[in-house]
Amino acid sequence: MARIYEDLTVVIRRSKVALFVLTALIILVLVFYWKIQVLDHQKYWKMAEANRLRELPLTAPRGLIFDRQKVILADNMPSFKVSLVREAVNNIEDTIDNLALLLHLNREELKKRIDRYRFMPAHEPIIIMDNLKLEDISLIEARKDDFPEIKLEVEPRRYYPFGPTGAHLLGYLQEVSVDEIRTQPEKRWRGGEMIGKSGLEKQYNDNLTGREGKILEMVDSLGRPRAEISRTEPQPGRNLELTIDFDLQKRAEELLQGREGAIVAIDPRSGECLVWASSPSYDPNRFISRFSADEWLALVNDPGKPLENRVIRGLYSPGSTFKLVMALAALHEGIITENSTFFCSGTIELYNKEFNCWFKPGHGSLNLPEAIRNSCNIYFYQLGRRLPIDTIARYARLMGLGQKTGIDLPGEKEGLVPSTDWKKKFLRQAWFPGETISVAIGQGPLLVTPLQLASLTALVANRGVRVRPHLVKEQEKSDGRERVGLPEAAMEVVIEGMWRSVNRQGTGQGAYQPGFEVCGKTGSTQLISRESAERLIQRGLEVRKTHSWFTGFAPRDNPEIVVTVLVEFGGLGGQTAAPIAGQIFKAYREKYVRQANLQEN
Amino acid sequence: MLDRRIFRKIDSVTILLMVVISVVGIVFVYSAIYFQASQFVWRQAIWLIVSLLALLVAVMIDYKFLISISVPLYILMNIVLLGLLFFGKLVANTRSWIVLGPFQAQPSEVTKIAVILVLARIFSEYREDRLSFNGFVISSALVGLPATLTALQPDLGTALTYLPILIGVYILAGMKKKYLAIILAAVLVTGFVGWNYALKDYQKKRIETLLTPNQDPRGSGYQLRQSKIAIGSGGLTGKGYHKGTQSQLRFLPARHTDFIMAVIAEELGFLGLLAVFVLYFLLIYRLFSAVWVSADRAGIYLAFLVTMMIGCQFLINVMMLVGLFPITGIPIPFLSYGGSSLLTNFLAASLVINVRMRRFRYI
Repeated sequence: MARIYEDLTVVIRRSKVALFVLTALIILVLVFYWKIQVLDHQKYWKMAEANRLRELPLTAPRGLIFDRQKVILADNMPSFKVSLVREAVNNIEDTIDNLALLLHLNREELKKRIDRYRFMPAHEPIIIMDNLKLEDISLIEARKDDFPEIKLEVEPRRYYPFGPTGAHLLGYLQEVSVDEIRTQPEKRWRGGEMIGKSGLEKQYNDNLTGREGKILEMVDSLGRPRAEISRTEPQPGRNLELTIDFDLQKRAEELLQGREGAIVAIDPRSGECLVWASSPSYDPNRFISRFSADEWLALVNDPGKPLENRVIRGLYSPGSTFKLVMALAALHEGIITENSTFFCSGTIELYNKEFNCWFKPGHGSLNLPEAIRNSCNIYFYQLGRRLPIDTIARYARLMGLGQKTGIDLPGEKEGLVPSTDWKKKFLRQAWFPGETISVAIGQGPLLVTPLQLASLTALVANRGVRVRPHLVKEQEKSDGRERVGLPEAAMEVVIEGMWRSVNRQGTGQGAYQPGFEVCGKTGSTQLISRESAERLIQRGLEVRKTHSWFTGFAPRDNPEIVVTVLVEFGGLGGQTAAPIAGQIFKAYREKYVRQANLQEN
Repeated sequence: MLDRRIFRKIDSVTILLMVVISVVGIVFVYSAIYFQASQFVWRQAIWLIVSLLALLVAVMIDYKFLISISVPLYILMNIVLLGLLFFGKLVANTRSWIVLGPFQAQPSEVTKIAVILVLARIFSEYREDRLSFNGFVISSALVGLPATLTALQPDLGTALTYLPILIGVYILAGMKKKYLAIILAAVLVTGFVGWNYALKDYQKKRIETLLTPNQDPRGSGYQLRQSKIAIGSGGLTGKGYHKGTQSQLRFLPARHTDFIMAVIAEELGFLGLLAVFVLYFLLIYRLFSAVWVSADRAGIYLAFLVTMMIGCQFLINVMMLVGLFPITGIPIPFLSYGGSSLLTNFLAASLVINVRMRRFRYI
């Protein structure tokens, strides 16, 4: 029992030190908890909320696009898309492997796409598949518990019921590019959002895009939704009502079928565009998916340039249609009067060079209306001799050439009206008077778009009142009507010539419509000079045909419609373009004039 | 041997503290895994009753008798651990379980009692001022053997809980502070520096999956992040019982076992956490105080080693939740779900109560 008295104080002291250390450590840990829980509470609270809440955007349907009679040209239809929420992913490589297998996607492309959107916050879904087929939907639906990181959602997707009809006008959508998202000044676009990239879809993108809705939901650690906390319904975009007449549009595209060219029709009273056709066309439905870059690239690289909107982006030499500008300039400058005549022998020598009329035997002596009717070159050479190039340029500009018409579509080209300044500036050469002779019949460095020519024709049809061409029906009648400084009398002389051209066996007779006083002017642009063309023919070689123009309006008094037709390599204007224009006039007359007459009776 | 007076001396404070903490544990196990909670709650409640009964039976036996049979007990437990390695049923990728009907038991937990008893037996005869080299080797080997067998199961977490027992012996037997500092520093350096700097992420991951196969596949980085978010977002007063988003939406891993303290911190806030810390501190202090009243050296060793075991395991767990210690799968005593752990801690505490009850001689 001696052990009872053994000295245990040393051992007890050691144990007290240990208790002291343990207590100190516990207090230190408690301080650390204080820091996390109380001092850094806000930071962790936000992290917990970010864990718990997931915001899902609800795509707003785009506004619809109608023609003037409420035919739907651009519609929406429900479509399924699959997105990946990286927040819920453990191992991105494994996920990519599994998804590529499940969805039959190319692994590399999938990875590239996910990498491209890596800069976005992890909770923003990355769309990895869209426009899903029914069997894909059922497959994903069946396995959704195995893949909590992917979301199958419905989105309204664009659908163009008439495919290629009016495609250039309507434009198309494409996914907003990563650069656009990165450089946008304030947050507007989400990754994967579809935005208008051409045509009206681009021009009116802000109007057509609605306001996105969102779902705020609570999710668990596997990304499975547990409860919906709030939901804001999307607001659809505003609808767009066009001035286009779908029946005429369809007819115009039929007439251009198999050709390259453009047709535009304007109501000269208001500037409303009734027809806007560019051929060849394409079906925008084919690359409505985000994953159809190949189809789009094929169109971009197509030599026929089907994506190009020829009405405002095709630059052509105006050919003889430019004679309208020459005639008005000469009349207004007092060089000629209605009755001034020139003699056409078929050929003329000017500035030591021989110039020919297209009609070898010569037209004989003719006044202005006859010169327009026959599209006599010699007559206009004579005007070219008497008008300096800068005066011609001034009139051309006054009538809207060499500048944008201000149409409500993106990408319009300005064209070109040559002048001495222009030549000095761009070619560093003086202007030769001989060049003015070429310009007088619409050759030389003149470039116009079909819309500019239609706009010019509307100006003539209105006897000198300019209207602004446009495509979307305006709510208020803010008619951009504006008189240009050209006398009505001069206009009447030119119109007389245009009337004869169509109605008195002139060059434009192909556009003749009984009972509908069509007035017009043809044009054929020489791609090479007539002389060299003849040399080629003599050597038995093929000559590529000229571009074929017709621009005109009807009826002569109180005109209702202006039609401008361009057919690339269509031959003479009178042969190809004029009959096509005639068909448009006919279709218009049958639809509008007859109806109006019936109603009156 | 059995004396009614002994029962009058039984330390009801310790028992009360343990039961309160255990009940808090059950309440939060219910909150953490509501979807199958009833099963877990009933099991844990039954384990609590079993543990309490085991404690009452154990305190009736004089601790000196338990020490006297400690060597065969120690050998027996090691044989069981060895046998498990060869014949154990693979449960959740480890061979650490003995399956008894509806209950499973982890012998590696209960073995700690045998280790403490055998150490008390050897060091009660120890007369030297300082820990001799022989003493160092023998104590290290006695703890190291079952710890290694446990680590091989593989169950690194439980193996690690043997370490405080060994360090407790070093301290009590008088290891020079210099050596103690070297050993602790070595452990810390290999643990912390090695983990944080020497190993690459994929190596860590491999080691993690090798040593702690039950863990979340998303890895310890994810677990730590979620644990800190749970604790931090709880704030001062918490989100309310059963309203913790981190735990209810299952962002928090091992919510009913290793990370149950994070659930409490999230749902009751810092104030609730402080209350639980106070309970633990009272318990540790109460257990410790038995050291100072013990009648003999063996009693001191028993009380001290048990306190070290429970106190350090608590400390390591709460450090682990906030990233002050690597996440290694160590449950918190009494609070975490798990029957073997609960039983072991009650039996261990019974030794301390035993020592306190028999501090006076009845001759």
